[in-house]
Amino acid sequence: MSDPLIEVDELTIAYPMADGRAFRAIDKFSMTVNRGQIVGIVGESGAGKSTIGKATLGLLDENAVIDTGGVLLDEVMVTKLEEHAFTDIRGNKVGYIYQNPMTALNPVLTIGEQIIEAIEANTSKRGAEARTYAIELLKQAEVPLPEERLSQYPHQLSGGLCQRIVFAIAISAQPDLIIADEPTTALDVTVQKAVLGTLVKLTRRENIAIILITHDMGVVAEMCDYVYVLRHGKLIEEGPTGQVLRHPSKPYSRELMSAIPRIDTKVHRFAVPGGLGNAEDRERAIDYLMARKADAGEKGAPLLSVSNLSKTFTAKATALKAASAFKAVSNVSFDVFPGETVGIVGESGSGKSTVGRMILGLHTPDRGYEITYRGRNVDDLKTKAEKLAHRQSLQCIFQDPYSSLNPRMTAGDNITYALRAHGTLDKAKARNLAGDLMELVGLPRAATRKMPHAFSGGERQRIGIARALSFRPDFIFCDEPTSALDVTVQAEILNLLKDLQDQLGLTLLFVSHDLAVVRQMCNRVMVMKGGEVVEAGECDKVLVSPDHPYTQGLLESMPRFRPEEAA
Amino acid sequence: MSADTTTTDAPSLSKSEAKQATFIDTFAKIFGGHPAAIVGLIGIVIFVVLAVFAPLIAPQDPYDQAQLDILDSLQPPGSHLWDGTPSLLGTDALGRDILSAVLYGLRISLFVALVAVIVGSAIGVFMGLLAAMKGGWVETVIMRMVDLKMSFPGILLALMVLAIFGTGIDKVIIALIIGAWASEARLVRAVALSELKKEYIDAARLAGLSDWRIMARFLFPNSISPVLVVLPMSISGAIGAEATLSFLGVGVPITEPSLGLLIANGNDYILSGKWWISIFPGLVLVTLVLCINVVADRLRDHANPYLRGKD
Repeated sequence: MSDPLIEVDELTIAYPMADGRAFRAIDKFSMTVNRGQIVGIVGESGAGKSTIGKATLGLLDENAVIDTGGVLLDEVMVTKLEEHAFTDIRGNKVGYIYQNPMTALNPVLTIGEQIIEAIEANTSKRGAEARTYAIELLKQAEVPLPEERLSQYPHQLSGGLCQRIVFAIAISAQPDLIIADEPTTALDVTVQKAVLGTLVKLTRRENIAIILITHDMGVVAEMCDYVYVLRHGKLIEEGPTGQVLRHPSKPYSRELMSAIPRIDTKVHRFAVPGGLGNAEDRERAIDYLMARKADAGEKGAPLLSVSNLSKTFTAKATALKAASAFKAVSNVSFDVFPGETVGIVGESGSGKSTVGRMILGLHTPDRGYEITYRGRNVDDLKTKAEKLAHRQSLQCIFQDPYSSLNPRMTAGDNITYALRAHGTLDKAKARNLAGDLMELVGLPRAATRKMPHAFSGGERQRIGIARALSFRPDFIFCDEPTSALDVTVQAEILNLLKDLQDQLGLTLLFVSHDLAVVRQMCNRVMVMKGGEVVEAGECDKVLVSPDHPYTQGLLESMPRFRPEEAA
Repeated sequence: MSADTTTTDAPSLSKSEAKQATFIDTFAKIFGGHPAAIVGLIGIVIFVVLAVFAPLIAPQDPYDQAQLDILDSLQPPGSHLWDGTPSLLGTDALGRDILSAVLYGLRISLFVALVAVIVGSAIGVFMGLLAAMKGGWVETVIMRMVDLKMSFPGILLALMVLAIFGTGIDKVIIALIIGAWASEARLVRAVALSELKKEYIDAARLAGLSDWRIMARFLFPNSISPVLVVLPMSISGAIGAEATLSFLGVGVPITEPSLGLLIANGNDYILSGKWWISIFPGLVLVTLVLCINVVADRLRDHANPYLRGKD
């Protein structure tokens, strides 16, 4: 068993910074991978996971400096090799699988040309023999209709299929090692499971070792034999997968594990350290927010009621293309009651965000719909003041924290600009409110003067939440608010949303592709597929024992993270 | 927190760096290691100073007919005028000192180009933002106007405008503005369309802000940088265009000669050996445009992320 293929010994990789100091991307990292072993490297963004893979293949940026240690691959010190020597290693000894299969393949070459090129570069097979081998590889990668695929182009295939073709290319030279850098992050969950299954099958058969770089603990739990936990370039913990996931021995690993949302049980709050602001400022912010008109209509009536919501996107006819229509959402109806959280889950393209955008008024639905908010039909609002009050009462927390703030305004102006523009608040009051709201969402008051680029993704998301709150909304549409964030940051943001909901009685519509996140956040859930709601009901029912086969499929293909069961 | 959570301070460092980045740092970043661009920049500064202080530097006021003397006409460089003033670059047929004429001409050329480009770009930016923001028929009308303008050769269009309105500095500026706005409008519209898809615009709409406010405070500041990058290039283009129009005799009036008109003046004498009348204004024009273009190239490369770090 102990047949080390790759040994990393006290590897330190540093990048020089503008001020002359060095930033250590990897700090004294050691690792051993045996032949045929599947090893996971996990960590959050910026942990240096990908840097290790790149060092093995000599793909580091030109300004990277290897301070100490090295990577020993099959008794060759690869970190000391010249550039030309890597041609024998790349593809031949080590295959690399990228995060996004659509960009890893060359869009102007057919699948066949790309596979056969790889085969001819790395093996002695030529011509018809190479073609036969290509078909054989595609079959092994479980690509349906392999012979037809050879003449197709990448854009004609789905992401999952493209990733299988990338696998076929990676194993074409029968390498000893495959480095898979977040291989399924860009794929939908139902596709992810099958694709990972194929990868494991392929490598087990050929005794190929895998270094799997990922942030997804579920994937690690299902695939890896051994796992390394990395943080800021330092090794935090290593061990057999079961042991690390079940009994993490270091505080950071424990925090990481407890931040992972679980599908099977609902927790009150994630066990991550929460940053609470100044109590007095928080009080003031809450007082301000509670002063909103408590005009939620009759008791027991829904806050928001939607019926027959449909949206068709049309593409106008051009000289080359006939007019086409795409029905993104069809006949969706539901109620949301005050103070509850309703989830919408579905894969990409299922129309879940479009539903929210129609409720917010960012899209106009097709005719025949009715949206009732606080007991009034939204289209009956006539006066400018009524429309403005309605619009501000429904707010949104956006998906991408890097584009949801105006980059040319300070954090404080981002939060209160609109209130000042409408004349609701004067300059001094607006500044105070921005500071109070910043403390409420766990950021220091002084940070209102900083520009958005000075904040991390999670901090920006907090600013986005503060901005939504500034309008004293009753209803907030959360559009995948944590899908761009690391898992511990996600846990902090979800905790914050739960706290705010408890204190302010907010009503949330929560869209996500992650069933576990929805389970943690929502009372009720709707499952969408192809623009239609296929199943709806209490979370405890729908996400535990679903009736619809699609929901069952979604649940089954979710990589499970159950520490107590991980073997 | 225990030892395993110690962090390198790189992220916080980059924050403080961003905060401290002063004008001088930015300047050093753009021009450091690019001697040609620095020379170009120095050249521009010298030309601008010469143009602004022309009345103080020039030995003669070329607009003042009373100061001219026919006896001084067509003197070669280095001679002295009737009244004893040295004429470094010679004189033209009217007895005008070339050095003085070039300094005043530089003034006119720079003024015309700057006004035309700034007004033209402002109109272009507004039109581009409006087209992107409003869409529908507003966008169609604006963009078809852009297409129409772009389908004419620039000089032809300017000649037409001058033929209709007559000549004069103001008319030349109008002709150049008509030539300048369209490409800026097209550029800004493209940038604004991609900005409009971003979530901060949705957030502004949810705040109930009007289209005009979204345009002014959200779209405009985030769409303007590409225009700033092409601005110097537009200025050198406008200087050239104005010189061409004046050379063709439809530009600025003879009493307020720009560089182009001075070159045209000397054109008649160049074959009779009086080379200095055309050559000196020509040299100044070429050098000025070259300086601006070198700096403009550097700015463009700096703004292009694909080229950053490669130079």
